[in-house]
Amino acid sequence: MTALSRTWDRLTLPGKALAILIPALLVLTVGLVVGIVLFGPFVWQLILDNLEIVRFVLASAILLVIFIPIAFIVIYMEMKIIALMNLRIGPERIGPWGTLFSVVHGLKFLLKEDFIPTRADPIVFTWAPVVVFSTAALAALVLPFAPGLYGQDFNLALLYFFAVGGMTVVGLLMGGWASFNKYSLLGGLRSAAQIVSYEIPLTLSVVGLVILAGTMSLNSIVMQQGVSGWFVDWYAFRQPLGFLIFFLAATAEANRTPFDMTEADQEIVAGFATEYSGMRFAFFFFAEYVNVFIISAITVVLFLGGWNAPFPVPHVELLIDPGQLGMGLLFIVALVPLVGTLLFAAPIFLLRSKTRWWVALIVGFALFNVFVGGLAFLWAYVSFDWVAGLFWFVGKTFTLIFLFVWMRGTLPRVRIDQLMGFAWKWLLPVALLNLFVTALAVIVLDVVRAP
Amino acid sequence: MSFLSQLIPGFGIAKGMTLTLKRFFAPKATIKYPEERADTAVRFRGRLQLLWDENGLLKCETCFQCAQACPIECIDMGGLDTKGRFHVHWGAPETYGERREESALRRSGRVVPDPAFEPFAAAELVEVDEILARHDHDPAEMLAILEEVQAAYGHLPVAALKRISETTGAWYAMLYGTASYYRHLRFEPPAAEDQAASIAARRPTEAGYLASLEASLAGGSAATTPGRRRRSDA
Repeated sequence: MTALSRTWDRLTLPGKALAILIPALLVLTVGLVVGIVLFGPFVWQLILDNLEIVRFVLASAILLVIFIPIAFIVIYMEMKIIALMNLRIGPERIGPWGTLFSVVHGLKFLLKEDFIPTRADPIVFTWAPVVVFSTAALAALVLPFAPGLYGQDFNLALLYFFAVGGMTVVGLLMGGWASFNKYSLLGGLRSAAQIVSYEIPLTLSVVGLVILAGTMSLNSIVMQQGVSGWFVDWYAFRQPLGFLIFFLAATAEANRTPFDMTEADQEIVAGFATEYSGMRFAFFFFAEYVNVFIISAITVVLFLGGWNAPFPVPHVELLIDPGQLGMGLLFIVALVPLVGTLLFAAPIFLLRSKTRWWVALIVGFALFNVFVGGLAFLWAYVSFDWVAGLFWFVGKTFTLIFLFVWMRGTLPRVRIDQLMGFAWKWLLPVALLNLFVTALAVIVLDVVRAP
Repeated sequence: MSFLSQLIPGFGIAKGMTLTLKRFFAPKATIKYPEERADTAVRFRGRLQLLWDENGLLKCETCFQCAQACPIECIDMGGLDTKGRFHVHWGAPETYGERREESALRRSGRVVPDPAFEPFAAAELVEVDEILARHDHDPAEMLAILEEVQAAYGHLPVAALKRISETTGAWYAMLYGTASYYRHLRFEPPAAEDQAASIAARRPTEAGYLASLEASLAGGSAATTPGRRRRSDA
């Protein structure tokens, strides 16, 4: 008993938490399995009855999990694209073309010392990155990724998005305040000033769109943009001014160059994140890139047609149902990989006399896999709505991310006075003008069409 | 045009974005160092280094053409350079290379603990001046001047050589070349027993060189001594 209590005393706080949580989780899992076996139909009925809650829990869990790889991809894109624009090669040693670079980057963060400055407020200091990261994940809950593929769809989704997205400021201020460092505090206040200022034109620029759409449900907004199937339905073409303002304000909102005063790597080190290290800093870092993704995604959803294809894709009916093939399916599964590999390997082996037969076979197998992967994707695109939707949505989003990175590779940072002046003197009046013109046009059209 | 383009808002941004996009697709300047090596620049000459031929002989014949050709006078042959920075230790030709390396060491700022580089003693130069006046400071009569100086001093002191170079206008390098070409001119006071010993010590080396040279001349690649024999027998 004494040995047990001594061990318990030696555990750190997270260690104690884990020592309780892991057995609890084990017991829960076992209980769940036993429960499902015993009361299977009842549990199933329970899940069906509370589908909304289950959906919410699942969606938030999935979002929290996929945001780490998304952040990795965006970080990799940023490093690679800016490097290419600087006539460098960029990351290329770790993984194929350096794709695993940001994974190693994340591991490095994990291994760093977890440091809290003396006299800092440890609780607020610890929770600041959590707030920043979880607001990003929460905001993404309402994003419609594809038909039927969204966390929640409700009538105030747009308002919810801006409200939760604006909560990032709280996290930044928490980090700046709790660091017990006047420069961190200044950085936090500065970023708060920036984000609050740009929140106004950002929200106002969308009001015109909301007037046109008549709803704040992101799902409906996306569906309205796909009525005719052509890209002219996108709100970017009905609200060009609103789109421009939204894009500029969103750049500032996501702390991207040329409005990245919050971080300003070269000038104030990292602003509010100066005192952060290890995984806490990593969460600020990830949140920044997740924000880039989310801002791109919301721009796509609101103005660039969401999951809709830019042109009507002809609907293809698959003539062959795999179930009808019967024994033929078995033969195909057995023979096609072999024949395909040989088919792809043959030209390589025949055309280049230096190639060894086994190298040709390996390359042929890889090519065959690429070919089959492409075929499978085409099949999925044709068969499932959500695959097609996800394809267009992700494509558009990453194009926008490329645009953000491209801007970072090109534009110099603005001064703080230029930044604030631009928000209040230019974006806000223009956003109001856009709102006024849109409302006027709607009223005039109503009056004209009424009789 | 530039005035007009300044009137268009966002023109500069568009221009910059176009530039970066062009750069994005342009060939990259990075050289992946361990796998790829950059080509040596055309004008690159590298570090000064003496080479040995296949017989183990120093390829340098101390002709001083390199020292004369060097436009910034950074090459010196172990003697004084034109700015009087280095001191001389005249010795057997086999050790020129060593002295050159010592000279390089000295130039790089490191200490060379070698009595050879201690400052040369100032010499009484009245006789040198007389000899020079007799020859009208004519560099064409260099051999006669040097012989007379050696007759007066017993050897050719560095101070005297320097004075001759300054007054006749002949390059110190040429002077040294002339003096080292003739066997009867020497840079150190004659020390009979030392000289005999050093000649005796040098003989087998020279004989070896000669033998291998003759062998290589006679039979092509018959008896080539491979590579560098730097300090094995010097």
